[in-house]
Amino acid sequence: MSDLTDDEQQWLEQQSTSVGNEERSIVNDLVVTDLADRLLSVLPPEDQQALLMIDGEDASIKEVAEATGWSESKVKVRAFRARRKLREAMEKLLKHKVGARGS
Amino acid sequence: MKEKHITEILDNASIVNLSESDLSEVHAHVEDCVSCRGAYEAARLSAVVVRSRAQSMIEPSPFFHTRVMAAVREQQAVENVPAMLRLWGSAKALVSSMAVATATLAVLSFALPASPAAPAFDQTASAYSAESVLLGQTNDDQMSYEQVMSTIYDDDEAK
Repeated sequence: MSDLTDDEQQWLEQQSTSVGNEERSIVNDLVVTDLADRLLSVLPPEDQQALLMIDGEDASIKEVAEATGWSESKVKVRAFRARRKLREAMEKLLKHKVGARGS
Repeated sequence: MKEKHITEILDNASIVNLSESDLSEVHAHVEDCVSCRGAYEAARLSAVVVRSRAQSMIEPSPFFHTRVMAAVREQQAVENVPAMLRLWGSAKALVSSMAVATATLAVLSFALPASPAAPAFDQTASAYSAESVLLGQTNDDQMSYEQVMSTIYDDDEAK
């Protein structure tokens, strides 16, 4: 995955310093959308779908299973794997951000 | 540092959906564990990013609502037309053509004169009617048997 843009870095810093900040703007939305697309691109499409439905839209495991035709255990596994990959990708970005600031 | 890391808890559910007990366990652990602190921060930001992405996906264009409501109102206006009017609209052509055909037949029946062959048929029919035959009535124009015989013999005598 490519490096963070200035806007993305700024957004991440804002999020890191202000917990639960609900302020939204069009620029912020665009930055987050772009960042999300880059992060989600590391996941297979099915994992993306499971993660966006469960964590993004608050769908239950059962609802996702019914919507996709997958078994509930498959939905759980996909969501678990997607969260882990996304978290690891985000950790790499954060480490890179800290490294860039230090240099 | 505690032995059990909390990455599995972070990956089991979105951080915003973690139970109170899981959250307290995570918070207690990240105070001492530097690597898990980074994982926790990454999981928190990931949850924000995923939620924002999902919201941007499902939020429709500002004009979407207006267009949908206009379409609904248009559909309701069509449905509010009375059923008889809608029926008339579809049957108008059929009813009109039937009315024209009926009027044409009426004109042909009442307005045009009768054909000349009809009286001759009536005369013949009256001359040989079943009633006159049964009652033995004769027509005044016809000659009786005696008249016929006298005519024949009168002619012979004259010769």
